[in-house]
Amino acid sequence: MSDKRIGVISCSGEECVGGTISRLAVRKMMEELRPGIVSTLCLPLFIAGDGGEREFAEKYPTIAVDGCSKCCAKRAIEKYSSAVAGSIDVAEIIGQEAALGKPLSTRNLTEEHLAYVKEVADKTSEIFDAILVK
Amino acid sequence: MSNTVCVLPCNGLDKCAGDISRRVALKLTESEGVELICPVLLNQNKTRYDKVLEDGSLSVIDGCNTRCASKLAGSLEIAIKEKVNVSEVAKAQNIKLGVDIRDDEETDALVQVLLEKMSISEEKQADSQFIETETVEYESFSHGKFIFKVPKNNYFFNENDCWVSISGDIARVGVTDYVQQNLSDILYVDPPEIGQEIEQFDELGSIESSKTVFEIISPVSGTVVAVNDKLQDAPELVNESPYEKGWLVELRLSNFEEDKELLLDFEAYFEFLKRKVAETNV
Repeated sequence: MSDKRIGVISCSGEECVGGTISRLAVRKMMEELRPGIVSTLCLPLFIAGDGGEREFAEKYPTIAVDGCSKCCAKRAIEKYSSAVAGSIDVAEIIGQEAALGKPLSTRNLTEEHLAYVKEVADKTSEIFDAILVK
Repeated sequence: MSNTVCVLPCNGLDKCAGDISRRVALKLTESEGVELICPVLLNQNKTRYDKVLEDGSLSVIDGCNTRCASKLAGSLEIAIKEKVNVSEVAKAQNIKLGVDIRDDEETDALVQVLLEKMSISEEKQADSQFIETETVEYESFSHGKFIFKVPKNNYFFNENDCWVSISGDIARVGVTDYVQQNLSDILYVDPPEIGQEIEQFDELGSIESSKTVFEIISPVSGTVVAVNDKLQDAPELVNESPYEKGWLVELRLSNFEEDKELLLDFEAYFEFLKRKVAETNV
């Protein structure tokens, strides 16, 4: 296994359910799909400028997982650190209409939402793996 | 101003506390007149929320002591009317949160406590029992472009730059002109709980500006009987009138004669402050 470090930053979306899906997809990736090798960065902390998050994203490849096409995570990385190594827009995967629904509490997600979470987590893992073998 | 409450959660993904801030925020938005503010979008595009923030008041939910949401509001110079810190409340409830996201009975209970804290912060407020003197006389000195004022009569000070003024068995506490000038624009005052028993030099809440957080160190011991609720809507009163309209807390004194031995009167504090300002080269 490579010791390469790769960061993933999820949108912390409160504007739409796409944000909720992006959060859960990143957690799923970190805890189930690629346990122990994903460095998740906290976007609010990244924006606040504490905790070494910006420095990490400058030094190591970082993937942005955004809930909608506003792409806040991607834009924040590019503003405060450097170009993203990869990016996901949940709205492009599950469709604008589905992504722009009202934000939901995790316990109110439907089977359909959970399937979206898996789909986004799988796509993010693909990008992650491609960076890992470079 | 409308009654809209804007809720800004930290929303952190790193720890359970961030997730709980989100749960509390989502629960609050189930009520009428509550608008959820996405911290990331606020940072990216503040104009998206300009109207609602202008018309309403801001409540902040910080997940941990990094206080990202508070810092974000501070950096954008948005005054905070009310806030809670999930980690601090969890600690007070003896709940260990850790990193993993949890959705169980214990975190449900914590969410409930946080919701109650956000809805009852204005209860139990007693009317002020402090009798104000008609005029307060000041002495001032300047250092560079700064002018520092110190009240001359019936004010005592500790070396933490907090003052106390006495009326019968009631003490009114605030911060000095030196503190407000150092902090610059004050955005939030975090008062103690009414009824809280305080020892001399205990922490008595805090005030927060875009620069930093200042812990109020109580010059006296006693029981908190009132807080200046005007500061919830107008924290800038501390900047404008630190010794009068910007008072912070009132306590019923428990032993002022003893406390007084460790306080400075006007003459002593005036000299102390002059030395301090010269040494720190404000």
